[in-house]
Amino acid sequence: MIAINRRRLLAASAVLATGGLILSSVPAQALSLHREVGVTDSSIKLGVTLPMTGAASPGYNKVPSAIKAYFDYVNANGGVNGRKITLVVKDDQYVPTLAVAKTNELILKDRVFALLAPLGTANVKAVAAVVNPGRRGIPTLFVNTGYSGFANKKAYPTTFTILPSYIVEAKIMAQYISETYPGKKIGLLYQDDDFGDDALAGFKQAGLNLTVKVPYASGSQAISTVPPTWIQKLSAANVDVVILFGVSSATAAALGTAAVMKYAPKWILGSVGGDATTIKAVGVPAGVLYGAVGASFLPATSDTTDEYIKLFQGINAKYNNNAVFDNNVLVGMNTAFVTVQAIAAAGKNLTRKGLIAAIEKKGATFANAGLVPLIFSATSHVGYSGYWFGTYGPTGDLKPNGGEYTVYTTDSGKGAVVKSTYKRPAMPVDGLPTKS
Amino acid sequence: MKKTRFLSIISASALVSMMVVGIPSVAHAAAPQCDGKVPINSCQGATSDAAPYVMQVPANFNGTLVLYSHGYRPNVPVPAGIPGYGGYTVTNTPEPGPLVGDIDTSVIAYLLGHGFAVAGSGFARQGWNADSAIATDVELIGAFKTQFPATKHVVAWGKSLGGFITQGLAEKYPTLVDAVAPMCVADNVGAELTMAGDFLWGVKTLFDPTIKGGNYSAGAAGYAEAMGDLVKFFTVMGKLQAGVATGAWPDTSSASGKALATAGIPSRSALLLLGLMAGIPTQSAHFDSISGPDGALKVTFPLAISPALAILENGANAGALAVLVLQDVENQAGGAIFDNSKTDYAARVSDDRVIFNAALSGNTAINALLGALSPLNPDAPRAVGNAAAIVKMNALQANTGKINVPTITMVGVADPITPAGASVRIAQAFAQQYLDEKAKAYKDYAKSGSYKAPKKNLISIWSTTPAAYTTFTSAGAPVTTTPAAPGTNHCNFTAAQYLVVAQELVSAGQTGKFLSGGKFRNLVRRAKNLSIDPFFNAPLLKFYQ
Repeated sequence: MIAINRRRLLAASAVLATGGLILSSVPAQALSLHREVGVTDSSIKLGVTLPMTGAASPGYNKVPSAIKAYFDYVNANGGVNGRKITLVVKDDQYVPTLAVAKTNELILKDRVFALLAPLGTANVKAVAAVVNPGRRGIPTLFVNTGYSGFANKKAYPTTFTILPSYIVEAKIMAQYISETYPGKKIGLLYQDDDFGDDALAGFKQAGLNLTVKVPYASGSQAISTVPPTWIQKLSAANVDVVILFGVSSATAAALGTAAVMKYAPKWILGSVGGDATTIKAVGVPAGVLYGAVGASFLPATSDTTDEYIKLFQGINAKYNNNAVFDNNVLVGMNTAFVTVQAIAAAGKNLTRKGLIAAIEKKGATFANAGLVPLIFSATSHVGYSGYWFGTYGPTGDLKPNGGEYTVYTTDSGKGAVVKSTYKRPAMPVDGLPTKS
Repeated sequence: MKKTRFLSIISASALVSMMVVGIPSVAHAAAPQCDGKVPINSCQGATSDAAPYVMQVPANFNGTLVLYSHGYRPNVPVPAGIPGYGGYTVTNTPEPGPLVGDIDTSVIAYLLGHGFAVAGSGFARQGWNADSAIATDVELIGAFKTQFPATKHVVAWGKSLGGFITQGLAEKYPTLVDAVAPMCVADNVGAELTMAGDFLWGVKTLFDPTIKGGNYSAGAAGYAEAMGDLVKFFTVMGKLQAGVATGAWPDTSSASGKALATAGIPSRSALLLLGLMAGIPTQSAHFDSISGPDGALKVTFPLAISPALAILENGANAGALAVLVLQDVENQAGGAIFDNSKTDYAARVSDDRVIFNAALSGNTAINALLGALSPLNPDAPRAVGNAAAIVKMNALQANTGKINVPTITMVGVADPITPAGASVRIAQAFAQQYLDEKAKAYKDYAKSGSYKAPKKNLISIWSTTPAAYTTFTSAGAPVTTTPAAPGTNHCNFTAAQYLVVAQELVSAGQTGKFLSGGKFRNLVRRAKNLSIDPFFNAPLLKFYQ
């Protein structure tokens, strides 16, 4: 219907918009002195929106303070290229329209340099559609969603993911299940949106036969009459193993309801909803989790032999009011750790373009706690691509099966699931990549 | 949620513009009749097409005429009892400027007080009248200049269909106007009817298959059918309103609708899907899709319910627009013009189904709804237009968005009748135009050694919604009796916002330049709830997607 190329138009609009408010001509040399929005000689301002309150907030609302804690640690040690990092936190309650409004505030009022770690597929998609950080050239770093669509660099040119995609997770999980529970009947509870669609795609790709699939609409887990219907369907299908592929509040609702209804299959928890602290915090006894299987791409939070865990626990004690050190805290600190390196790699003349280029060029070499490699490149804005599996202990701690991390990797396409040979490089001295 | 709390929703916003100056019809006259009064000399007359006009010229006339084009008025009377429009009778009373809230003349007074003359026609015919209205405006400009030879500059503005007429005037007759301001500008008739028609078709298909939804008979029979459709449409919207909390479907629902109800899909999810596939905004006068009442619904309400309520409020406008404009343009074109035989509604909502997944009740429900609306479903027959009539419709005035003179647009980001995407289309067209002009300037520079930069001749102003604005009673019911929030409803501007446009418009018309950046930004800031964010983005109307 439109004769002109829409992509070219958007680019043209951006070009025009950049100069739209400059009504007089600007000397070329003045442009070189231009300071990037959100950056001063002594500071860098980042912003995050995620659910700090509301039904979907448990657990995830610990991420910002963990990010801040690591930034505070870096700031106390000189910052990055002499600049201290601040983080503006907005509560979007996991409501997409609110995420749009809050992101607009971050960009137009708070004037942040970059967006960091926004959470939720629907929210990130809404922000991309309406606020359009990509068109504005604003980096959206390390989104807290594994939706595979965000790997589309054309559609999301300034967005970087960090979590393995849900397809990757499902493919690896399917292989684990096939090897560990051959011949068993498998059931699946999943969020009935793109999050869940990715999981279905991954299970299908891996050839996992699902006896029963129980979808739930996002948010419906908070309606007390809904979770019992899940358990009834799973129980009626007489499955041996149940995969819970939803957010923490849904996982908790399923486990809590199952306990009341005395339904006890083998539980396998997806990483998004598998944080034991969060599940216990909403009233699910640790005993319900005992023996369930979980997955992660970071070291176990209880693994104090891991140098990153030790570092982060120390920072958590000093800068984060010694919050319960769970997977959300770990994810937050690790995200901050990678962010600091990205900013450092972008150099002293920090620009948004420079930051994106630095991650594309050097991101795959950034030190981090992950037990699988980051795979950032000029053609890939995707972070991790693998998982290890473990079992929840009596207190809810997830520990690797067999006492060792056995990591599997794959891609979001048709690639095979393979055992990883990745050896994580040593942590920078004092956990400060800015020192090296 | 009590039914009574929502009763005011569908009678909310007005499509029909009211008049500022009531004058009797006058006979065709070569020259207007002026009263010669001081400080305002008021003139009345009619153009050769019998369109009445009014001119108001202050004693300290500074030589600039501000010509106004009014918005859409139905070209048929609307019987009493129909929400929002009941009791309307066709009128061609002229309007010399925009009214604030249909009664406040302060914007016109401001212009007159600063030495500007104002003028406006009531146009010869109502309904979708851009072609005749542009011709009328051209004649009116000539009549004014003849009557007031001291005229040096003419600027034009208008809202809604009047904005479309204004843009069309500048595209077709750029030498007649020095600057223009299409406000809450309508898109081309095909695009507008696609939005409104899709929604009406969806309501008919799922909720009441007895709605005719276009292809009306000629003459009085067609008028009766259209008015009957309005009654049925608002009746079913009332039933949907009553069922928002429970998810109950109207008793008039189609077999497909009843099957969806049996499957446990709430009617509010179906309503929301219809709104999304039509491109209707998900924020409305009273529903921000952000706020929830304290308590258990704090998050569930904005996540799962509020977007549907916003569609209910906004969709009332869209459905009525569809009936009234379809009936009018079908008469002009000689047959059915709405055609969705090839529309891929699933593609239309590919992004929105992710964003509003919770309110749509999840992918399983969405797929079931799209299945019910699929051309493969015999219970959901698609509308097939009359090819010859569509050709005629497409021959009506169509704006390209070309910017010939300094232009200012302003629109509410959640305008349900003329979505912000219509203004975005102009901005995008200008972005391309600017690139082309720049490329030409470089070529010319290579030949002549002289570089003449193209002008940045467009300013886009967005009337924004507050951060959150839905309010609730102590019992947790949403309040729908408060004034519409800024940025919502159709052409819902304050006097201060109009004056931002007016000042920029007359400055550009008189000097060829927009106000300086600082001065303009201060005006914008003081007017409140306006944004000149150059990166603001709203989706184009679905017609273009």
